[in-house]
Amino acid sequence: MLACGAAVIPLLGAIATYTFSKRNRGSGIAIAGSVLTFVLSALVFYTTWDHTAIHRQISWFTIGDLTFTAGVLLNNLSVLMLFLISGISLLVHIYSAAYMKLDPRLPVYWTCLGLFCFSMMALVVADSLLLIYLFWELVGFSSYLLIGFWNTRQAAVLANKKAFIINRIGDIGFLAGIMVLFSQYHTLDLVTLFSDHGLVASSPRIGGVWVGATGQLSQAWLTIAGAVFFFGAMAKSAQFPLHTWLPDAMEGPTPVSSLIHAATMVAAGVFLLVRVFPLFDQTVLLLIASIGTFTAFMAATIALAQHDIKKILAWSTISQLGYMIAAIGMGSPESAMFHLATHAFFKCLLFLSAGAVIHELQHHYAKSGDTTDPQDIRNMGGLRKKMPVTFIVMTIAALALAGFPGTSGFLSKDAVLVSAFGWGAAEQNVFSVIPYLLFVTSLLTAFYVARLIFKVFFGPAGQEELHEAPAPMRWPMIVLALCCLFPLFSVNPVSFESAWIMAGFYLNAVEAGAYHTYVPVLVSLGGTAAVFFAWFCYGRNRSGNIFTDKGMLYRFALNGWYFDKLYLAVFVKPVVLLSRILFGFDKKVVDGLVNAVGSLGLSLSAVSRWTDRYLVDAAVNGLGSISKTIGNFTRNFQNGRVQYYLLATVAGVLLFFMFTYFL
Amino acid sequence: MNLLSVLVFSPLVAGLIVLVLPASLQSRYKYVALAATILQVLLSVLVWVRFNPSLGGVNNEHTLQFAEKLSWIQLNVGGDSRLQIDYFLAIDGLSMPFLLLTSLVMFVAVLSSWEITTNLKGYFALFMLLDTAVMGVFTAMDFFLFYLFYELMLLPIYFLIGMWGGVKREYAAIKFFLYTLFGSVFMLLIMVGLYFSVQDPLTGDHTFNMVHMMNPANYVDGSLFAKFSGQLLLGIPARSLAFIVLFVAFAIKVPIVPLHTWLPDAHVEAPTPVSIVLAGILLKVGGYGVIRICYSIFPEAALGYAWWIGLIGVVSIIYGALNALAQRDLKRLVAYSSVSHMGFVLLGIASVTAEGISGAMMQMISHGFLSVMLFFLVGVIYTRVHDREIANFRGLSQLMPQYTFFIMVAFFASLGLPGFSAFIAEAFSLTGAFKSAGVNGLIPRWMALGGSVGILLSAAYLLWTLQRMFFGQLRLSGGEPWRLLLTDVTIREKIALVPLAAMALLLGILPGVVFTQINTSVLDLVKLVNP
Repeated sequence: MLACGAAVIPLLGAIATYTFSKRNRGSGIAIAGSVLTFVLSALVFYTTWDHTAIHRQISWFTIGDLTFTAGVLLNNLSVLMLFLISGISLLVHIYSAAYMKLDPRLPVYWTCLGLFCFSMMALVVADSLLLIYLFWELVGFSSYLLIGFWNTRQAAVLANKKAFIINRIGDIGFLAGIMVLFSQYHTLDLVTLFSDHGLVASSPRIGGVWVGATGQLSQAWLTIAGAVFFFGAMAKSAQFPLHTWLPDAMEGPTPVSSLIHAATMVAAGVFLLVRVFPLFDQTVLLLIASIGTFTAFMAATIALAQHDIKKILAWSTISQLGYMIAAIGMGSPESAMFHLATHAFFKCLLFLSAGAVIHELQHHYAKSGDTTDPQDIRNMGGLRKKMPVTFIVMTIAALALAGFPGTSGFLSKDAVLVSAFGWGAAEQNVFSVIPYLLFVTSLLTAFYVARLIFKVFFGPAGQEELHEAPAPMRWPMIVLALCCLFPLFSVNPVSFESAWIMAGFYLNAVEAGAYHTYVPVLVSLGGTAAVFFAWFCYGRNRSGNIFTDKGMLYRFALNGWYFDKLYLAVFVKPVVLLSRILFGFDKKVVDGLVNAVGSLGLSLSAVSRWTDRYLVDAAVNGLGSISKTIGNFTRNFQNGRVQYYLLATVAGVLLFFMFTYFL
Repeated sequence: MNLLSVLVFSPLVAGLIVLVLPASLQSRYKYVALAATILQVLLSVLVWVRFNPSLGGVNNEHTLQFAEKLSWIQLNVGGDSRLQIDYFLAIDGLSMPFLLLTSLVMFVAVLSSWEITTNLKGYFALFMLLDTAVMGVFTAMDFFLFYLFYELMLLPIYFLIGMWGGVKREYAAIKFFLYTLFGSVFMLLIMVGLYFSVQDPLTGDHTFNMVHMMNPANYVDGSLFAKFSGQLLLGIPARSLAFIVLFVAFAIKVPIVPLHTWLPDAHVEAPTPVSIVLAGILLKVGGYGVIRICYSIFPEAALGYAWWIGLIGVVSIIYGALNALAQRDLKRLVAYSSVSHMGFVLLGIASVTAEGISGAMMQMISHGFLSVMLFFLVGVIYTRVHDREIANFRGLSQLMPQYTFFIMVAFFASLGLPGFSAFIAEAFSLTGAFKSAGVNGLIPRWMALGGSVGILLSAAYLLWTLQRMFFGQLRLSGGEPWRLLLTDVTIREKIALVPLAAMALLLGILPGVVFTQINTSVLDLVKLVNP
């Protein structure tokens, strides 16, 4: 009940702001709704965490003999997500009130944001795959609205279209997964399907056949089902090869990037994978681990070369999501969820801090009529003294991202890496490279985030009259900074196993062994080295840059490994071309055939018209004119003159005699 | 007088009133028509409320509802045989939702007829005649009566396009006419053949009663269409040929690729209200005919050709969507999107599963509301500036924010955003198609997966249009005059749009509203087709 309330309040808030927001511009209603949501979520969290799961459902509709239900499922996974989302969204709401204060379409903004919060919270508490799919798409829709919020900007409307379409590609995967499961089990209820003794867990796989409750499929379909669900998650969580929408999505307002495209919505893919985890067989798990690791590595390399402060963070998000996905693939969903939770706080904070910087610079440039890009880190520097609070909180978040001891990121990244090494030790083949790749990625992460901090906050100050962000923006950031430290998650700052989130999920007792000791140490040492290296490159001596902007690798990374160009050339253009060709075909061939039949009919009728006119009619008319001629001729005999009749009579008699005598 | 008869003939009365009213009152004709459609909406709501969802109908005459059966034409045709044609109106779950759909669509169509300015008497009289014909098609249970109404639809549509249409209206009208006639002429032959094969079990006379035609026991032994007669026509079994002929006749209406090219032309040339009726109702007559006649009377042929029907569905989905992607004219884009969306109907029907057929029914109803909304919205722009080239508009959201709101609702609803009816419809059409392979083995799984590509493509063409026409900086090819002409939606337009959006939303959130009503009938149909 409370959970329903928590989920529905943002929707009501959204409708309310849309309806009554003329006077106070909706901020009051939106924030009040957000507070209420948070309080309810906290209550739900408090009463449900580590208790037995609550599952309530009502029947929704019936098709054939099957009844589809709608309901809520509250277990540790969903209440954690609920708590997380409502908490972060509350902070982002407060922040937005200041950030978006001057926007003329502020009520629309609150409405879209409310719609998003509703969809996201409903997504996490939904109890059936159909409902999850429903809210999954609504989340995508509200993200579409928010990315394109400034819809007069061409880049924004291109970005939101791209985001929606790429997410749609993933949705097809999700839908296909639903179809497979539905035809196998005739239900989409999460508990029936995925609980410990659920249908998925208890359906045997015998001799290549996957036996379900109501039918059986070849075992390949089990793999396909897992793979297509993962495909859906790939799009939402921006994993290779469906990751290209997320960097572009940064065209939206920064609080939106922070809430949706960093902390919550992109985590929905991870959430989905955890929900359907029992479905994955070995092949799929390996696929998930590989894709996640590759994405983590690739995105980190791209983040190294970006100049746009939000783009760096966007690629970093993709990279961190890669960690979570990889953790799931390596059979450790609990560490994925742990990393999801910590990442939500520090990445949200990174974005909000970046937003504060952009906000100030934007005002500064707008005042002086300068057209400098306020998001380009090459134009920034020395902000440490102008915006000390922002500097401190962003540094904390950066340390958490890099995984330094004392932060939450240290705990969760270790959880992922330790389970990765544990998993890698068991793998004998090429996949054993995965943990090492993840380790290298963590060094890259430390480097690019250090580069970001040094470029923005250190060095000589450029702009003079900059000052700290206003209080409604500052306070949420401070709260988030506190959440980036270890005490929120674990009393022991170095042992992730004592983290309550880890304990709250079914721990499959990672066989970590020695890794447990040296992985954290190596990560910390390596990270420190990377930071010093970054300091050497960007902090200490800004002019003597050892990375030039010319190398091939640099351009490769700057352009995001050229995936956008590749997709444009391989998918977008051919499809548009194909559609043109098909339309030509439709017009020329299909319609041409119809018109040809039509004109054939017309020519046939022309022929018959000719025949009718010159043969049939001619014959009729000919007969007519013959009789007419004869008639005319004989008419001459009836002219009424007696002399003529007499002459005719005489001629007739003469003719008669001539015939009788001479013939 | 039976409720259905009132429903069918009240528009005809309104049409007659329009005809006898003097020309000096011609500005009032539309109110007569509006009153008739409002009455119809109320009556069909009444039918909806009084409908008993536990009765299946389909092939059981006793569970058909609101039945009215009068002996109509009884002719002694020599010997002891009599020509028996009944006036037989009745509904079941497969036709009932279409009554409400038709009356709502007609209501909106009349509201959008405000734009018609010439020859109002003829226009509204024909429009009301069309209304009667459509209602008749959905309620007739006697094949002869059905055919009569079916052909009667053709006449008003032909004149409505040909006289009130756009530049190439005559081409479009004759194309539409010939296409449809092509199908229905052969339908007539099959109907006569069925008549001579089927006997009323009570009287022993030959009959046009469709319910009798669905029961193999009523066929005269050895007659042309008797189930096991083994008669061949043109080298293929007579019943298969009959199925194909009837299917083609209805599929032209649906329409299927490659028999669809009348549709873009007819839509583009037709005035907005006629486009609305075409897309909202006439296409559904095709789908309804396939279910009611092809599948119910020739079930074994339907099973035999399921693979092909599924294939046609998938091809229509993808081909229509790709064509929509290539369009420059907004109305033509919407027309091609109809081809794509109606493909789901065929795919769902072909699966012969409860999910698939329910999905197909839902898709027809949902597409009814949504395509009407889309065409109405296109008409709004067209009446203002007489242009609908996508490239000639940009950034309309700044000029017409409420209009943009409605267009976004319509676009997102038709691209299958959850919460709107099209999502439920498409999801279940596809689910049914996917399930079919495991349940009855009719259509392969790849068809369902192929069909789902259509969902992606529809997002592509609709969002692309949205981006090109409505977002970005305001730029109109007509310049300042256009800027003044393009006013936001009026009250009258909102009255038409809001119910449509509300229905799409209602059926998306509570699909049970429809599914409850049709479920028994759908199950009976599945049992009838695939026992």
